[in-house]
Amino acid sequence: MPLPIADRRISQLYRTLETTNGKIDDAQALNILAEVADRSGLSAAKANQTLGTMTRDQQLAAIKRGMTAGEKADLVKILDQGSVKLDASARSFFEAVLGRPVQPPPPPVVPADGNLRVTGDQSNGLTGTARPGDQIEAINLSASPTGRLHTDDTTVIATADADGRFNAAKLTGDQAIKEGDLIRMRARHADGTTGDWVTVRATGLGRDSRNAEVAIFRIGLTENAGLIDVSNINASRQISEPGAKLQFTNARTGAKTVVTLNAEGSFDPGVKLQGKAGDTFNVAATDGTNNTDFALTVGKLQVPGADGAGTVDLIKDPALHRDELDASGEPRFSTKRFTGALFKDGVSMEDPIQGQIGDCYFPSAVAAIAYQNPQALEDAIADNGDGTYTVTFKERDWRSGSGFRDVKITVDGDLYARSWGGPLYGSSRGDKGEKTMELWFPVLEKAYAQWKGSYNAIGDGGHSDVVMQELLGRTGTSMGVREGNEAAVFAQIKKSLDGKQPVSAGTYGETQAARYTNTGVYANHSYSVIGYRTADDGTQLVKLRNPWGESEPAGNGSNDGIFELDIKTFNKLYQNLMYTTP
Amino acid sequence: MAKPPEPLSEVLPLAVWVVDAEVVEVISSGPQPPEPPLRDKQRADATSRNLNAPAQKVKLKVKRVLKGEAVKELVVDKPVAGYALKAGNHGPFLIDKSKTILGRYGPDTYNFGKLEAAIKG
Repeated sequence: MPLPIADRRISQLYRTLETTNGKIDDAQALNILAEVADRSGLSAAKANQTLGTMTRDQQLAAIKRGMTAGEKADLVKILDQGSVKLDASARSFFEAVLGRPVQPPPPPVVPADGNLRVTGDQSNGLTGTARPGDQIEAINLSASPTGRLHTDDTTVIATADADGRFNAAKLTGDQAIKEGDLIRMRARHADGTTGDWVTVRATGLGRDSRNAEVAIFRIGLTENAGLIDVSNINASRQISEPGAKLQFTNARTGAKTVVTLNAEGSFDPGVKLQGKAGDTFNVAATDGTNNTDFALTVGKLQVPGADGAGTVDLIKDPALHRDELDASGEPRFSTKRFTGALFKDGVSMEDPIQGQIGDCYFPSAVAAIAYQNPQALEDAIADNGDGTYTVTFKERDWRSGSGFRDVKITVDGDLYARSWGGPLYGSSRGDKGEKTMELWFPVLEKAYAQWKGSYNAIGDGGHSDVVMQELLGRTGTSMGVREGNEAAVFAQIKKSLDGKQPVSAGTYGETQAARYTNTGVYANHSYSVIGYRTADDGTQLVKLRNPWGESEPAGNGSNDGIFELDIKTFNKLYQNLMYTTP
Repeated sequence: MAKPPEPLSEVLPLAVWVVDAEVVEVISSGPQPPEPPLRDKQRADATSRNLNAPAQKVKLKVKRVLKGEAVKELVVDKPVAGYALKAGNHGPFLIDKSKTILGRYGPDTYNFGKLEAAIKG
């Protein structure tokens, strides 16, 4: 039934909308209200035209001047009884004409591209719009360079409401937003896809006091044809915030070069400095607001390679473990270049030999993988043919849905070496010569140290299942071992090894060290599990390898670190199994 | 600890005695050294965490001397290290001039064959 509207012109307009299932948007509202304003001295057509040029306050004044009691009653009917839908903004306009309380402002128009918009300043956090239900992800690019964060390692800070709004969302902890910070954001839609990145510079938070943070340990300087190449040795992470300027001052010549970082906070290809091997560069940075005169430096970098042999370091090496620094913090060992074949006779589980570093979990995991899937290791390490090697690790990628993403780390063949020339850290079984040692394992370990930050970062313990995961891109897991669950443990070993999954086993810590002395098994140590069998008398046996490549219980043949334990002894001495799931 | 033993060539020159001996008594033990804090994402069952057992003072009954003055019994210090001793533990002990046991794992650090070959030169 048509809405009974007294005014003929308004009734005609409204009836048309009723019969066409139309709605009253801003334009239709203005048509109707022009009929109301026509008694203010203007024709309806003229009123409509004139209203369109006015501010909202002027429109309201003109309409109210021309509004009769009957028209007012008609507008009340349209608002309260009408079947034609009103847009929120049109409803708000009508309410204002009638002098009724104005409804909340209309919801924002959600951009058709699905990308978020940030509105206002950040005095109360991050506010803006996206699609309703979108998760809003953000990372503070000004606070993340020296952390182990990629530029897409975001945090979910809000969920857009039914109107597509998010309000006062905050980053916290180390990521807390300060004035001038660059905040990178995007919307993650319900289907898992994401909108484009949006980067905003924070305002409304007072004085900008945070200068550009610099991950100086990621800057690689390499002499190349009379110039110094500048690179990010971990290109998947930032050097500093996007747009930051770094000034490199050659301490020998005084020459200054200013480099502007790209949108990823890294170096564009081809950045070069004037200098030579052995030169030291003072590095200063500015974010464009702080330290614009580069008066404050963030550190020094030396171009490697000025040793007596004239060897030029190809890629900056990961720093030594702190155990190998002297009392004044200086390294007690230097590097030697190893130039042997990457693979001499393929990958063997007997190749990895742990060096003088507490990373037993690493060679244990690598040998376990070599036992089950040597090809995976050969595929992970590439000889670039220029004295460098690129190792592809796998890193959990929670956001893409694909599980893992590749992390490529490039290192050279320079290894920390003892005075007699052999490697200080991981080496290969057999020949340790600079020109003859098989390189795949020490290169792999060096790349792992490079990835994690230094040999110090990997040399205070860890988990073999994590290493397996980081090399194979399969989920690593562990199972508790204790006296009493021998059957379950043996079954798991059998299942994993039969399924071609690598397995390692860890012993207890030194608080229970007395149980190990004279057993041939060592406390707080990780062993590769490389077999199982059931003896003729029914005893279940587990075959293990010590990543030292030696030291084992008596009665196990040559001292190659490979030995068998019956399952009861195994369960007494070991506390966990670590393996990957298919 | 789980680092491999130190190269014998670095340790043997420091040894005043190399003996085949057995622990007959643990005379005293020091306090348990504090555990290093777990690193980011590290679980308690991580290996190579540089955990150590307390220092001990032990009495050794010497069966055979491979290097050094003849002796039947020694009271020696086991430093804070990644192993512990109890009565009955035996093997080759390398002992320095301060009567401290050398080698990262005490009697499990080097085997007799390796030691005898190195001492012979």
